[in-house]
Amino acid sequence: MSLRIAARLARRELRGGLKGFRIFLACLTLGVAAIAAVGSVRAGIEAGLAREGAALLGGDAEMEFTYRFASEDERDWMAARAVAVSEVSDFRSMATRGDTRMLTQVKSVDDAYPLVGAVTLDPAMELGAALAGQDGLPGAVMDPLLIAQMGIEIGDRFRLGTQDFVLTAALEREPDGAADGFALGPRTMVRTADLAASGLLAPGTLYSSKYRLALPPETELGPLKRQAMQQFEDSGLRWRDARNGAPGIKTFVDRIGAFLILVGLSGLAVGGVGVSAAVRAYLAGKTGVIATLRSLGADQRTIFQIYFLQIGALSVLGIALGLLLGAGVPLAAGPLLAAQLPVPADFTVFPAPLIEAAIYGALTALIFTLWPLARTGEVRAATLFRDAMAGARILPPLRYVLITLGLTVALIGAAILFSGTWRLTLWTAGGILLSLVALALAARAIRKLARVGTPLARGHAALRWALAAIGGMRDEATPVVLSLGLGLTVLAAVGQIDGNLRGAIARDLPDKAPSFFFVDIQKDQIDGFLARLDGDTSVSRVEHAPMLRGVITRINDQPARDVAGDHWVLRGDRGVTYAATQPENTKLVAGDWWPRDYSGAPLISFAAEEAEEMGLHLGDTMTLNILGRDITGTIASFREVDFSTAGMGFVLAMNEAALAGAPHSFIATVYAEETAEPAILRDLTGAYPNITAIRVRDAIDRVSQMLDGIAAATSWAAAATLLTGFLVLIGAAAAGAPERRYEAAVLKTLGATRAKILGSFALRAALLGAAAALVALAAGVAGGWAVMHFVMETGFEVIWTSALGIVLGGVAATVLAGIGFAWQALNMRPVETLRARE
Amino acid sequence: MLMGGLEQASSGQVRALGRNLTTMDEDQLARFRRGNMGIVFQSFHLIPTMTALENVATPLELAGHKDAFDRAMEELQTVGLESRADHYPSQMSGGEQQRVALARASAPRPKILLADEPTGNLDGTNGAAIIDLLFGLRDRHGATLVLVTHAPDLASRCDRVVHLRDGRIEDASQEAVA
Repeated sequence: MSLRIAARLARRELRGGLKGFRIFLACLTLGVAAIAAVGSVRAGIEAGLAREGAALLGGDAEMEFTYRFASEDERDWMAARAVAVSEVSDFRSMATRGDTRMLTQVKSVDDAYPLVGAVTLDPAMELGAALAGQDGLPGAVMDPLLIAQMGIEIGDRFRLGTQDFVLTAALEREPDGAADGFALGPRTMVRTADLAASGLLAPGTLYSSKYRLALPPETELGPLKRQAMQQFEDSGLRWRDARNGAPGIKTFVDRIGAFLILVGLSGLAVGGVGVSAAVRAYLAGKTGVIATLRSLGADQRTIFQIYFLQIGALSVLGIALGLLLGAGVPLAAGPLLAAQLPVPADFTVFPAPLIEAAIYGALTALIFTLWPLARTGEVRAATLFRDAMAGARILPPLRYVLITLGLTVALIGAAILFSGTWRLTLWTAGGILLSLVALALAARAIRKLARVGTPLARGHAALRWALAAIGGMRDEATPVVLSLGLGLTVLAAVGQIDGNLRGAIARDLPDKAPSFFFVDIQKDQIDGFLARLDGDTSVSRVEHAPMLRGVITRINDQPARDVAGDHWVLRGDRGVTYAATQPENTKLVAGDWWPRDYSGAPLISFAAEEAEEMGLHLGDTMTLNILGRDITGTIASFREVDFSTAGMGFVLAMNEAALAGAPHSFIATVYAEETAEPAILRDLTGAYPNITAIRVRDAIDRVSQMLDGIAAATSWAAAATLLTGFLVLIGAAAAGAPERRYEAAVLKTLGATRAKILGSFALRAALLGAAAALVALAAGVAGGWAVMHFVMETGFEVIWTSALGIVLGGVAATVLAGIGFAWQALNMRPVETLRARE
Repeated sequence: MLMGGLEQASSGQVRALGRNLTTMDEDQLARFRRGNMGIVFQSFHLIPTMTALENVATPLELAGHKDAFDRAMEELQTVGLESRADHYPSQMSGGEQQRVALARASAPRPKILLADEPTGNLDGTNGAAIIDLLFGLRDRHGATLVLVTHAPDLASRCDRVVHLRDGRIEDASQEAVA
């Protein structure tokens, strides 16, 4: 028979309406909508970033140098190509007034700033006028948060380093603020020229200088970047341009977006379980029709086509509804979302994320409906007279298994292609598949356990019925455990990872991290600095080291990136130190430290783990560009460096003679009792105003706040998965409702009260829910451990509050879904149900 | 069905064993059946998730018998199905399922055995075997058997026959017809 006949028959069958397909449609719609919505929001932010690229950057292009201002050569290069150049420097410092000292991120600007966009001040005024100052004092503008923290008002004086400033306005908005990235302190803005007497931009202090270029309209950014990098990369140049004005934000949005879409895919997988169950139930109800069609001469292929076309039409409807919802919600909530986001965003309908979501939806629908559809071929005409389906094989014919495998590979391939992070995608896909297999096996184990346990529960009727139902011929366990289990697994993993990250940062870190980081301690200040801390009984440990910054340009006389690829150590400049003798607590794993008075060719001690990742060996040479000067040294040793304690950790250390002559400052870490911290801060920053103190507890708070946002976004995505799971659960409960009605009717005729029947139904649901939750918890904890151990490389402990929540939530959800449908069964007269069966 | 308390009478009273079933709620009716009534259906109505033994033990458990499973096994032996004790309904033939239903109905030793067309879904041989078992159980346990049937031959084996037509009693004989 032709496809046309199959289509005609399919259309006739669909006249019955969407009854029995509500869960099917809901699962597919929700899964596709979640992915489409996340993708649309991501596309909206990226469009906003692209549109505002120049404003975010503060110019058409930016050249950044660390630790120094541009050289004459570099300035000449810029002047030759740009219509206008604006110089900005950026560094951390302490804003002080009386005894109040607050960490601030200072931006010093020239008269040309900002080249693009405008600064918004309160009271409204020109930036130039605000920074010009009053009464002979230079002016400054500050983030309102810092003004509140300092307890000062407009017109008050404060100090940066040794320079007094007058606060002239609150800084409401800086056009290039979003692109500046993560800062530990709120912003203060001043003129660079006014810092001359502050002692804050002395050689060796930590700052970066940024040169924003306004370029002629015909300039091609790509070739210009290549030209600049070729000429100045070895001197530590970092280039950004308006094509990607805020690369940090773009990368962050990309990563978070990719991750959330992958979580959304797990939601679609849960939905797939519901889709599959709905198709199974639909086809089970059609057995008589199929048998009749077979008796009328329809072959297997035609039968398959008839139902494939029906399910296909419904899938298209589900996907279309999902796309409508996924595109519509961000569009409708656009103004609200845009106001909440710290970055520009354009919300409109983006075809690309919708196509992506549709592909995921179509592949998922195919993967999960193919097997039940393949079973239609097993229905024989004899089914009309007896249950000829009994004893049907578990797996469909081999070709369907192979096609399903192929479709799964295509789905994972599409996810890799769209997310751009094959590793994360494979891990997530592997996690989902493993979880599905583990949950399916767990469901089988639960059924077996229930069968074993049924005889043991004799004398406890409600429990025995519950166990008999779970272990009985009809498989109730698998759909419940699969649907609820996968959603709970995602939620459990998120809970464990979030809890452990918070634990590592907020709970464990303050115990082993120092109280303060002090940076920019000048050579002539270090002795006095250490003298203040020496003998202070509240101080348990002080570590200090000279600090320079340099770019690794060559390894074994080859360009460094040719040897070690795009390793993070090679990206931009790194902190470098020197030491005459092997510092305390430093453990060498290979090679030897240089002799105390060594003054020969420069020697290097390198971090062992990073060296292994970069393929370095003892005896390799490495060229560093420090302040424009090349220094080539030989690797003499590898040592262990632990970056997890927030203590001092340098990837690269050299012998003293190699670096001591270069201008540099010192950094120090101070471990002190919490109660002594204010006095230490007051004394040291009072005596040395140019020194910047970073209180680790404050930094931890900032990081924790950031984690809050990420955890919230992830939890929402996981909640969407759970909601799908709950829908599937309701679907499973609805599918089982007739059976329950029947059971309740028979039990009533045998003398069971409603309370007893309800108790047994609740127990059955609770047992399945608890089992699903426990398996999900085990999978979630395993996933959490894997992330903490392999990705974060830190310890792991089970977060019991989250775990308990998962188990209780799982039980509550199944009991709720189970009892919701049982209620109707309990209140029906037995005869109604029993007659319906006759 | 009205006598078993499975259906609510739209008017009048239904009295069984001296109790007025029309005033009882669902749970009172269930408890009444538990102690007094064993029902055999035309379509067997075994619980599909339970084995034959578990099906038979269920009313005994509900009645609070500690030895529910031993008694259930004895009951299965009585109907000749001890070898099928661990089989699920879907693994048994119609005749076997009805024998299990019979064992389940008689296990609590009800005062009334209510059989609604018990052979309606069975072939002649199985139907005859079921009827023999049904009457045997009645004789052994002294229960009142209320048999609903369209078969005059079967009705003739009863002590009293009540004819119903369109839901009304047409005539009733006190004595056995045969």
